[in-house]
Amino acid sequence: MTAALAALLLSLGAAAGADEAAGIDINKIRGPKIRELSMLIITNPDAQIMAAEAGELDVLGDITRPSDIDRLSGSKELTLSLARGMHAFFLLLNNEAFPWDDPVVRRAAAMSIDRGSIVRMIFSGYCEPINSWLPPVSPWALANSTQDIYDPEAARKLLSDNGYLPDIAGRLTAPDGRPFPTMKILTPLARMAPTTAELAELIADSLNAVGFPVETEPMDFSTMIARLDRKEYMLAVLAWSMGRNPDSLYSFYHSEMNVEGGYNMTGISDPRLDGALKRLRFAPDRKSAETASEEAQRLLLELMPSVPVYSRISVAAISNKWKNIFTTDKITADNIWTLLTAEPRDGKMRPMTMLLPEEPRNLNPFTASSAYSWQVLGMIYESLLGTNPYTLENMPAIAESWEVRTAGSGESAHTELIFTIKRGLRWSDGSPLTARDAAASIGFIKENKPPRFFDSVKNVRSAEAAGDHTLRVVMNGVSYWYLDNIAGLPCFPEKTLAEIKDWQSWTPLDEKETHGPAGLLGSGPFTLKSYRAGEYVLMERNPHYRLLGEEAK
Amino acid sequence: MNGRWLLRRILSSLFVLAAVLVLNFLLFRLMPGDAVSTIIDPSFSPEAKANLRALYGLDRPLWEQFVIYVRQMLTFRFGLSFLSRKPVWDELLSRLPVTLTLTVSSMAISAALGIWLGVKAAVERGKLAERLVLRAGAVTSSFPGFFVQLVLLMLFARALPIFPLRGTLSVPPPDGFFNVLLDYGWHMALPVISLSLMGFGGWALYVRNLMVRALNEDFALMARARGLSRRRVLWHAFRTILPPILTIFLMSIPGLVSGAVITESVFSLHGIGTFLLEAISGSDYPSAGASFYLLALITVSCNLLADVAYGLVDPRVRVGGESR
Repeated sequence: MTAALAALLLSLGAAAGADEAAGIDINKIRGPKIRELSMLIITNPDAQIMAAEAGELDVLGDITRPSDIDRLSGSKELTLSLARGMHAFFLLLNNEAFPWDDPVVRRAAAMSIDRGSIVRMIFSGYCEPINSWLPPVSPWALANSTQDIYDPEAARKLLSDNGYLPDIAGRLTAPDGRPFPTMKILTPLARMAPTTAELAELIADSLNAVGFPVETEPMDFSTMIARLDRKEYMLAVLAWSMGRNPDSLYSFYHSEMNVEGGYNMTGISDPRLDGALKRLRFAPDRKSAETASEEAQRLLLELMPSVPVYSRISVAAISNKWKNIFTTDKITADNIWTLLTAEPRDGKMRPMTMLLPEEPRNLNPFTASSAYSWQVLGMIYESLLGTNPYTLENMPAIAESWEVRTAGSGESAHTELIFTIKRGLRWSDGSPLTARDAAASIGFIKENKPPRFFDSVKNVRSAEAAGDHTLRVVMNGVSYWYLDNIAGLPCFPEKTLAEIKDWQSWTPLDEKETHGPAGLLGSGPFTLKSYRAGEYVLMERNPHYRLLGEEAK
Repeated sequence: MNGRWLLRRILSSLFVLAAVLVLNFLLFRLMPGDAVSTIIDPSFSPEAKANLRALYGLDRPLWEQFVIYVRQMLTFRFGLSFLSRKPVWDELLSRLPVTLTLTVSSMAISAALGIWLGVKAAVERGKLAERLVLRAGAVTSSFPGFFVQLVLLMLFARALPIFPLRGTLSVPPPDGFFNVLLDYGWHMALPVISLSLMGFGGWALYVRNLMVRALNEDFALMARARGLSRRRVLWHAFRTILPPILTIFLMSIPGLVSGAVITESVFSLHGIGTFLLEAISGSDYPSAGASFYLLALITVSCNLLADVAYGLVDPRVRVGGESR
């Protein structure tokens, strides 16, 4: 399928999805309508596609191979849903080594990469070129984030204007006469990541065409990360999933993060950028955060510490046997809203089947780290705030409203987060959910420091419930992002937390469990009915879920 | 066979195991990166990474990690998996039934079928049957397993939906023990058939060669000259090739687990093969260490058993200088 057709598909998919979703007011959604959800564990990607075609799977998310997308788009039984994703792919440049220590050379390299060819040749159009350090879907990304800046002539001119001239063999030399060394692009092995390896070859071709002597060096992924960490590289290709918020830029490009285990893998160190990122990280309010975010992104465009290449489009397939599928231009059909709204088209209620592409090996919410474990746990536990599917901004969940206050200065500066918990909420066993549960959850995490949540609570000074419906969290220092840190934590019942003797060894699904209580008690839309390792996870509707309509209750 | 030889053999096996134990520890730790270093998540700070490393015990000095590791291996208490935070033993035990069903069934079917066809080909030498066996054997044993299994999956689970696409149980599982057993058999049929299909060719070719040689031996000629029936001649010849068959059988057992990696991946089975794969790719040291240690233990035991069994089934073979 051509890029144009894929682009058309994207716009159609998003538009169709938006139309369908536009008819649904998220504040009026009541569900889940389905009583059971079967999550089938199918690890083989080919079998996943076959299962969707055969009607064994109703929802198949995160389809990445263009051949699979083409194949499923021909199925009359399935509808594809496309949306811009959070994924982004970068060419990393070692800013500490010659010639990448000069921003002019980095900018020229960015202009030399033919992103259009990459999008067409490797992804058949199912991704978009980017020139941004935030995903285009993020409400914080700059307006021109998908601009393709490929212009090899302009790159050559920029280089020659600054004294970087090609020698007789076409290899670039620095103004002081030093020839550019032959540089290797570190890339994962082709058998582990075939697309990335092919992509590295295309990038090398693009750079060579402008005079950068570049080759690829495939290697084991762990080895590659270790070399990036030690800055023993010149170029590397790497993709990661970015959050919706721009504060992650601090982790990737602030000089303080240029430490072992830190994410500043390019080694960029620029006082102006550091200042902007610090202002962004510790912005006292939304307005300041917006100003700092824009400033930081503009500086990144100027300094070009790494080269953004493309962002993949998220694709999901959903069976036509279901109606009221919820999609927007920002989320594909495999989302929690679809699980609330979907109903069988023929009116005969049955379980919905969804793919789990890997085993959710750990269902202890304090130690589970894989996305697959959280695909299950995310149905059981809720946080104080949710994400609006249209805007990706915060929206009420357990808390119906919130307030952020900042006070003090210097050492005594602090941020106060006040959440008002909805009335009448219940855990899945019917017991009441109050602000005391939320306060106990934050306190438990703060005290035990599970690594997954450590960064969210490390600045918590206190978390107290004032009555059943008001939660007051005081954080050391001032940052607009503290709200997201705390509002994104899962809430656990106070009584469960009191019974946990050893959070690290707690295996809640073991009936003979002695380290804590058996079972997972949450307030999310589903509860765990049964889990058979390697086979399936069966969830059933939480009879006390806050959005469950009176009729279903 | 004498006691001294056996003792020497056991001691050399223990030495091999000790070497595996040390290499098993060192090789994983010498590889760049660990289970924590590959995390790329801006919400996971270097401080949180250090915290996780401490949780895994990776912050301790190497010698201390080695002492803990050796104690775990020798006591068969392999600790907690980094990935699942469950005891490695429990993980292995939960996955054993699938791997055992898969490997034992396919081994039995491919060996039985291969031996029968090999004998048949030797007896029918120069005829169509032999040519068919030789070609089928060469084809099935030379195709890549992954490809064959994927084709079978597409043919018999998708195009002709005779078998299921995944797993070992239907969702929801049927009621009653007998129905569950039937359902399990139905799910395991295609993986077992595919593995047997790829395995029988090697057996057939090997047995055919052994039988051809045995049937040309003097004792077979003598038996035929004495007027023994064809069936009895065959039986005598077959008995002489039993020792190498037994050796091959025992020596191929350790390879079954590693061979199951691909089959379990293709058919989405919850077995030891996929556990091993996940452990290596996730730098899950306790799981990978325990898996390789057990694999080494099985290999060394099978080698020892093959040596002992060879002497027992073939009266001509004596070791340690003893002769009668």
